[in-house]
Amino acid sequence: MVKDVIIGAISLIKGMGVTIKAFFSPVVTVQYPRETINITPRFRGHTKLVADPEDPEKTSCIVCGMCERNCPSNSIKVEGEKKEGEKKKTLKRYILNFTTCSHCGLCVETCPVDALAFSADYNPSDFKKETFYYDLMLEFEKRKKR
Amino acid sequence: MVREISDRFKEKFPSIEPKEIPYEQRGYHLFIEAEKNNIVDIAGFFRNEGFYLADLCCVDYVDYLELVYFFNNHNKLCRIKVTVKTDPDKPSAPTISHIYNMAHWYEREIHEFFGVFFEGHPFMVYLFLHDGIDHYPLRKKTVPVPEWDRQILNSFRPEEQEDGFFLNLGPQHPSTHGVLRVVVKMNGEYMLSAEPVLGYLHRMHEKMAENRTYQQFLPNAARMDYLGALNFNLGYVATVEKLCGIEAPERAQYIRTITCELNRISSHLLWFGAFVADLGGLTPFLYTFDDRENILDILEATAGSRLTYSYFRFGGLYNDLDENFVDAVKQFITRLRSRFSMYENLVTGNVIFINRVKNIGVMDKGYPIRYGCSGPVIRSTGIPFDIRRHEPYAVYDRIDFRIPTGTTGDNMDRYLVRIQEMEISLDIIEKALKDLPAGPYKAEKIPKKLKPPKGDIYHTIESPRGELGVYIVSDESDVPYRMRWRVPSYSNLMTFPELARGSLIADAIATLGSYDLVIPEIDR
Amino acid sequence: MCDLAAIINIIGKETARLILGLIGVLIIVVVNALVLTWVERKVSGHMQKRIGPKEVGPYGLIQPFADGLKLLGKELLTPANVDKPLYYLAPVIVFIPVLVSFIVIPFDGFLQVKDINVGILVILAFSSLSVLSILIAGWGSNNKYSLIGATRSVAQNIAYEIPLLLSLLPVAFMANSLSLRDIVEVQRQGWFVWRWQFFAFLIYFIAATAETNRTPFDLPEAESELVAGFHTEYSGMRFALFFLAEYTNIFIASAIATTFFLGGYLGPVLPGIVWFFIKTYFLVFVIMWFRWTFPRVRFDQLLNFSWKILIPVAFANLILTGGILKL
Repeated sequence: MVKDVIIGAISLIKGMGVTIKAFFSPVVTVQYPRETINITPRFRGHTKLVADPEDPEKTSCIVCGMCERNCPSNSIKVEGEKKEGEKKKTLKRYILNFTTCSHCGLCVETCPVDALAFSADYNPSDFKKETFYYDLMLEFEKRKKR
Repeated sequence: MVREISDRFKEKFPSIEPKEIPYEQRGYHLFIEAEKNNIVDIAGFFRNEGFYLADLCCVDYVDYLELVYFFNNHNKLCRIKVTVKTDPDKPSAPTISHIYNMAHWYEREIHEFFGVFFEGHPFMVYLFLHDGIDHYPLRKKTVPVPEWDRQILNSFRPEEQEDGFFLNLGPQHPSTHGVLRVVVKMNGEYMLSAEPVLGYLHRMHEKMAENRTYQQFLPNAARMDYLGALNFNLGYVATVEKLCGIEAPERAQYIRTITCELNRISSHLLWFGAFVADLGGLTPFLYTFDDRENILDILEATAGSRLTYSYFRFGGLYNDLDENFVDAVKQFITRLRSRFSMYENLVTGNVIFINRVKNIGVMDKGYPIRYGCSGPVIRSTGIPFDIRRHEPYAVYDRIDFRIPTGTTGDNMDRYLVRIQEMEISLDIIEKALKDLPAGPYKAEKIPKKLKPPKGDIYHTIESPRGELGVYIVSDESDVPYRMRWRVPSYSNLMTFPELARGSLIADAIATLGSYDLVIPEIDR
Repeated sequence: MCDLAAIINIIGKETARLILGLIGVLIIVVVNALVLTWVERKVSGHMQKRIGPKEVGPYGLIQPFADGLKLLGKELLTPANVDKPLYYLAPVIVFIPVLVSFIVIPFDGFLQVKDINVGILVILAFSSLSVLSILIAGWGSNNKYSLIGATRSVAQNIAYEIPLLLSLLPVAFMANSLSLRDIVEVQRQGWFVWRWQFFAFLIYFIAATAETNRTPFDLPEAESELVAGFHTEYSGMRFALFFLAEYTNIFIASAIATTFFLGGYLGPVLPGIVWFFIKTYFLVFVIMWFRWTFPRVRFDQLLNFSWKILIPVAFANLILTGGILKL
């Protein structure tokens, strides 16, 4: 009986030793947003259109609609137009409804020309829901200008 | 073993002929077509032979409804599928809940989703759904709920009983199980009965599976159990690969094993923090999250997500490992090994913790057969049943690892089994990293639109909570005909009402924490 | 200034000293409560390897003021069927026993509001009254969960009163007096904690943690399972008063432990009052350390611990001390 009490008391002191050691050791948290950490390149942010390697002014998208059909959440809408004198359609608008996207990567994977990639945008935040109906073509144009 | 059971079955039931099925194609060994009048005797026969009921589900072939029973054995692998056909207009079948306690809830679920009435079942009330749902959800055609059935389904009204003091545990909890509501009848400090009410997180994954192609269902698998998401991914992908006969390359199998074991460790770490936080010690929660951040960073660098991964694809992986993976994992293993002694000092040896946890919620060896418990719950009673050893998948047949067991089946044993499982997972990862072969990470020539051959398949894997089973019925189209997920927390939770009877509320909370429940996977 | 001297001449030195002392005590109580909320959050943060508040002022020092302003601005919800006199009275009288105990504690050589020669009796008598306010809060709330929490708290407090008393008495025996000033003065020859009363110190400390409803004995108050405790129905400033009373209780318990076992204001070099506060706040830190390390004790184990372990040991200590002193 006395032995149990002594063993119990020693176990409590050992536990207290652990917390006091943690008290004097440095914190492990990152004071976001005053400090930020680097995001790995493979992070699955929202998708973005990549430039065609042969013609960096345009995207590689051929408006086939595979990404739109394969998306499990029906988050993608692709609109293309056939310009005069060109054989293939060009992309006019690419609407991604990011509020229903599940980051599965099926659109990136099934694109036959590899026109999509994940961006590293890990902290989008806004007050309005409409900000997250991204138009990837507009984003592409903005990135081209920079 | 299969031959013996088949012979003994033929002796007892000479009119039925069990068919032998190739296990590699279908995942079960024998197929028995039973009738309504002998299913109860068949269930009793299997109970006497020491088989447990792994799953009970229902498939709606439009001309008839088929009830599918899967029996399995803890000692030697022998899975037997028994089916009972019933007509679609007034479907009914006799109940086997007096033989196997776990059929109690499975039959309630089938009743509210398909409309099959089980004669003799004592308590056919709503389990997942609620009043106001007018059609049976999982039927292929719209079948309205008749009035007599609606009355039976709504008959659980604890607020109208006058002689008991009813209390609600949840659905909002200070402890982090998920949204579970338990209606508890109290007598002072002691609990007289505990009745879980589920369905607060029901998202109809099984119905979604019937409306999406096999490829499109991939993100859903991770959302079911977000703590062990890679294991659920693996369950789904491995089942479909087995059905189509696709073989993933060696490197992909090794990487799948390593990432699944990392996920197992992160799930156990979170359980550890939450369990001690339930009991009142709020600090180890923060320490385990610190360790878990390491794992999440490693997996983020490879798979791109932190919690709900959709990393596995049919025939391999989405992408290969990144270049820092092996070094980061080795560093992580060293670091976590040095932290175990700290957790030992802070929690495991603490006399207050031991008194809260030892000899509470004792489960003897009779429970696993009656309830189909699996995972650390069954290993804590002393039965060394682990699907990774019993029915190896991925590369577990090439890696030698120990199976930890407990002795008494109380909360302390479940706790110790999980701590030891974390250490064993570290060993498995080390051994797999050593043998990691180079090569392709994805099989070639996988069709873009997967159309599996006609048939059904049942495949199990070991998730951090226990035995996860996936049953897919395919009809040669690119959309599954029926997908059934047999989740481990469901059958583990079924033991709670029996264990909680007569105990104090504080003990019941500790027992509930020790099961490691994740309610989204119960509610699917 | 001469007006002040005239006033003092009129009302008498003792009364003036009493009034000044009471004002000082009130200031200490309020400042202490503010400081302790900040210290608790910082200590808990660093023990969990994170920093606590940091945004509000440098190192979060203005956080207690922000919390106080927030609580002042909250709506004081009064549920419909409460017992109004009791409901309004409870947060007020939870402070009274504590304030009386402050009167007899010697902060420094002459900084004691009044040196009553039965000082121990005053402290023990008034600390028993703190149970009353909890019971009034639980009963007046007209809520079955509050009542269960309050009755648990009453049982816990009564059970741990006895070891509290039994562990303070050997010190009184050894000092041969019941007055706190004499107890501190006797410790000039050596603090009681290592002059044979180590077990009494431990028992007193554990009983004090249980009296103030801190973890590991905080079942009546923490977000325990389903009952939220006796202060469920209190909101806004009333709830704040309960918490201020708890922090003041912690301070008093540590101050009494310092006076009886750790030598009060004695110590080299620094002035007495500084030593007093150093020792008291060290014990407050230890109480907070307990909270963030240990899980909760179950209620029946708590009562068992007091009646079956603490009381026999305290009794044995008392009898031993009395016996040895007699011989």
